[in-house]
Amino acid sequence: MLKQLLTTIAITGALMTTQPAWAASPPNMLVIGTNLTGIRTLDPAQNNARTVSELISNLYDNLVQLSPDDLKTLKPMLATQWSVSDDGKIITLTLRDDAVFQSGNKVTAEDAAWSIQRVIKMGQVGSTDVALWGFKPDNVEKLVRARDEHTLEIELPQAVNTDLVLYSLAGSSLGIVDKKTVLSHEANGDFGGAWLSANSAGSGPFSLAQWRPNDVAIFNAQPKYWGGKPEMARVVARHIPESGNLRLQLEAGDVDVGQYVASGDLDALATNKDMVIENVPGLGFYYIALNQKDPDLQKPKVREAFQHAFDWKAISGNIMRYTGFPWQSMIPRGMIGAPGEAAARYDYDPAKAKQLLAEAGYPNGLKKVLNPSGAPTLPFAEALQASARAAGFDLDLVPGEFTPAFRERKFEVLLGNSGARLPDPFAVATQYAFNPDNSDEARLGSYYLWRTGMKVDELNTLIDQSMRERDTEKRTDIFKKMDGIYSGMASPLVIFFQRTDPYVMRANVKGYHGHTTWSTRWHDVTKE
Amino acid sequence: MASADLTSKQESRHSRAGGFADAAPHPLTSLLRRLAGRVVAIVTTLLGLLFLTFSMGRLLPADPVLAITGAEVSKEVYDRVYNELGLGQPIWMQFFSYVGKVATGDLGTAATTGQPILTDLMTIFPATIELAIIAMIIGAVIGIPLGVTAAVKRGTIIDHIARIVALAGHSIPIFWTGLMALFIFYAKLKLVGASGRIDVFYEGLVTPMTGFLLIDAAIQGQWDVFHNALGHIILPAAILGYYSVAYISRMSRSFMLEQLSQEYIITARAKGLGTRKVVWRHAFRNIRVQLLTILALTFGGLLEGAVLIETVFGWPGLGQYLTRGLQMNDMNVVMGSVLTIGAVFLIINIVSDVLYRILDPRTR
Repeated sequence: MLKQLLTTIAITGALMTTQPAWAASPPNMLVIGTNLTGIRTLDPAQNNARTVSELISNLYDNLVQLSPDDLKTLKPMLATQWSVSDDGKIITLTLRDDAVFQSGNKVTAEDAAWSIQRVIKMGQVGSTDVALWGFKPDNVEKLVRARDEHTLEIELPQAVNTDLVLYSLAGSSLGIVDKKTVLSHEANGDFGGAWLSANSAGSGPFSLAQWRPNDVAIFNAQPKYWGGKPEMARVVARHIPESGNLRLQLEAGDVDVGQYVASGDLDALATNKDMVIENVPGLGFYYIALNQKDPDLQKPKVREAFQHAFDWKAISGNIMRYTGFPWQSMIPRGMIGAPGEAAARYDYDPAKAKQLLAEAGYPNGLKKVLNPSGAPTLPFAEALQASARAAGFDLDLVPGEFTPAFRERKFEVLLGNSGARLPDPFAVATQYAFNPDNSDEARLGSYYLWRTGMKVDELNTLIDQSMRERDTEKRTDIFKKMDGIYSGMASPLVIFFQRTDPYVMRANVKGYHGHTTWSTRWHDVTKE
Repeated sequence: MASADLTSKQESRHSRAGGFADAAPHPLTSLLRRLAGRVVAIVTTLLGLLFLTFSMGRLLPADPVLAITGAEVSKEVYDRVYNELGLGQPIWMQFFSYVGKVATGDLGTAATTGQPILTDLMTIFPATIELAIIAMIIGAVIGIPLGVTAAVKRGTIIDHIARIVALAGHSIPIFWTGLMALFIFYAKLKLVGASGRIDVFYEGLVTPMTGFLLIDAAIQGQWDVFHNALGHIILPAAILGYYSVAYISRMSRSFMLEQLSQEYIITARAKGLGTRKVVWRHAFRNIRVQLLTILALTFGGLLEGAVLIETVFGWPGLGQYLTRGLQMNDMNVVMGSVLTIGAVFLIINIVSDVLYRILDPRTR
């Protein structure tokens, strides 16, 4: 009997030990361990989130690009040069003549024009940035046009700083697609959207070899890429949602680049000489949102009390070490108009917070429900709950996914984080300070200030000016003024940290640089 | 086949017994009647299940529109998707239209993958079934002998080991065991693969036929792929299997103990039959039916256990699919997955019920 049992165990063991030793990824293959949750399509027009932007940016070329180390200077990509008419209304781009799509079709200005028209007409999230300039489904065909095979004209429907327009053309959603191929797969007037969800039709350095949602995406190098054949013959993005597992695979060399690694695992990897952690600054913040429909939170002194109720220093060295740095201005660090002293505008001062609460009419403190926007901001919310207790706030923390409630203005206090793609303060200001209509019916859920129920006309005017103004010095002044108003009004969006996105790489991986606007490209990646 | 044989045997036995024509219903009729009753029960249960998951989906503070569009979306796009999903209709209409679609095999589209739920399920469900079957085999092959041996050698070291195994299986979180096993067998010993069903170098070499990667690889003679896939499935399956070993061995032990105290066993022993014959030929035959029920329950439990283990091992199966659906508020995915798990439980129930009747003459 015992013998039988031992035999069974031995057979199972033998099965396991007959495996070869698992090898590291080959030298011409890049394996990225990431989280592919929620990527439902690889169509550029239907995406603008972080992970998918990286995938798309390697299948499709943009007209222009920004390098990860210089977010101010536009660089050529499919367009070799561009000019702006004197009145600032027309941007003319000249396209290179040696670019081909993976189908073999040449890339023409007609493809570029149609790609932009397609994004606007489809009206999906990919149009979020480019639609800001006034393009609409009924005017885009007239305004964005191919003058000849290599000349594209973009006429602006309203006065806009043309750099902003060009920045939006560098975003992953504006990847140029092969018009002929995509239209051949169109069904029910979907602009080929269904087919493009799991196929690629770009001129980028890679083509899509295999895509299984929430599992794996495999990319093959395009040998005839106009920029030269990529060093990596294949790139694999693999869904590894469990951070501990991802860490083990990074250490073993099975995975070359790790994204969304948890704070504790990052601490462990930081001490490993075979690893490099790159913290890429993001265009967004971690903030506390205070609903202005709540009569208690409407009081400026209560909002001000929140500025001093959070011991942000205590978490900057641990849970926020890789995901953010202290920053308390609405203009992101390093951008025009950004202040030099915004790393510590609010000090943690429970006594001051209590005094402010007492002045507002709450000598015995204030009780509110606190929600995180989702799982990633829960540790942050827990830290706030703990430190706010000493400051007179009794915050009842209810975890869950509360972004929808935030959009519907159905919350009291919420802790969230954000990201943006346009590398200009205008994009962040639009998100944090713009609200043209504060009515419930307006449902302007994409504007955070509307979500908190506050409208500041002066800020709206300044944001509008910053979009139109072409002079950099004047724009800098506009943003400085904006920041002054925002910090002086005890904003219902109390900003504490600027976001960073940590990328873990094996030390032998060279040329992989996480991009602030998420358009991370693999063309120059090599492995030593 | 077996049931047909059984029916004919029953008929001949019935005629030999010379029963009156109206004494008892024809066995086949009674079986059919029972089956019909079962079908009604199944449909009712599935409807109840649908109603529950649908209600849950509507009660949760989840926005199915944002699941599709992402959080940063303009009002125009939001409204368009809202109308496309029919969320403006009254709630009862939404429920009935959902039930109507389900009846025609249309489980809706997954917001998180952009694919019809049915297409997704065809892709991912085999991965979970494959994992559960191998875990089941491991659980049964180790758990039953361990439990039986523990009963026979009551109070010995084997019995204590079986008890420790059972205790550990009930108290150690599967999540932790998964990570520890990865650390030992993958990171340190390099014996197994870490994530997914196969290493990326082998992707695309096997054409999906049955959806069961091991079978597909074997059919196509891709033994490298088979070997690699085996190295990926063995660890999550072994861990899942271990958790079922704990349960199976505990139950086998108690069934066996009960049998060993029966008179017929004492008689058999008195006749001088060897322990092995007494245990396996006599006692074990009488616990087979109970074990079948336990194995059926275990299989259902394995599907549940797969939720966590699939996340740890990046296994692209139903568990991970459901977890992601919940995380992303993708209610179609949640409802489709719950319905599938519910249907599997029902099927297991029916199959074990039928087998029970076949194996245990007393239930006829």
